[in-house]
Amino acid sequence: MTPIDPKEAASALSEIKDIAQRVRQSTIYNLASLSMIMWGVLTTAGYLVTYFSPRHAGYLWVTVDAAGIVGSFVISALGYAKTRVRSFDFRTLLAFLLFVAFGLFASLWLGHFNGRQLSAFWPIYFMLIYTAVGLWVGNAFVVIGLSITALTLIGYFYVGAWFDLWMAAVDGGGLILGGLWMRRS
Amino acid sequence: MAELDDIIHQPLRLRIMAALNALPSGGGLEFVRLKKLTGATDGNLGAHIETLAKAGYVAVDKAFVGRKPQTTVTATAVGRGAFARHVATLQEIIAASARPA
Repeated sequence: MTPIDPKEAASALSEIKDIAQRVRQSTIYNLASLSMIMWGVLTTAGYLVTYFSPRHAGYLWVTVDAAGIVGSFVISALGYAKTRVRSFDFRTLLAFLLFVAFGLFASLWLGHFNGRQLSAFWPIYFMLIYTAVGLWVGNAFVVIGLSITALTLIGYFYVGAWFDLWMAAVDGGGLILGGLWMRRS
Repeated sequence: MAELDDIIHQPLRLRIMAALNALPSGGGLEFVRLKKLTGATDGNLGAHIETLAKAGYVAVDKAFVGRKPQTTVTATAVGRGAFARHVATLQEIIAASARPA
């Protein structure tokens, strides 16, 4: 075949590097978006039940987290069959449990937060992780993390008794919309 | 110096192979995602995938998900080897140009 000059070779290598980076990001977005939509649906249900039946909120959020963990394993297994990339494994589960344990320690044991404060704390705490992870894996996580945090704070300070309904829309709905947006980008 | 692989060297086929090789062994990409990642048109992408499949570099799996047909393309072991050699040759070309004559 016709030999190519070093400039063309460098350009081909740069293209390979660029597309590999896009595939990695696309794979992460693809798997993360499914999890995000699932957590969005669960969170919406969680806030709605918290609003209409606050007595059951404690048990309900444990159920939401348990269902989310099981769902994350299912999504990871389905994704692995296609891409050979796992989005959720036991190490991720351990990180998630440590994260939740610290959240419980800070909000209940140290902070003695009331219901409204808890409804604002958990999404902001989770969105902090989304935003930090986004600095490495993709700007979509940063945009989603900061948007939901800002909307949560607006609701916390300016939305009265409807705060849990507001959170169902901005946290649950935000995750669903964010997931759908990620699938398109 | 090793020769560049004529089949992989074509720009769109290089992008297809680069995309598939970015996944762990055995991982595949759906046609729609591959099209988006490589910026190719349906017809163009289909033709170049066929060329790669004839060379044994990719495997094409057609299945139905619900009622929708879904085509998944995966790099074969032969294709991964050819791609690795092609990349090594490109790197050799650059290294050779940097050496004093």
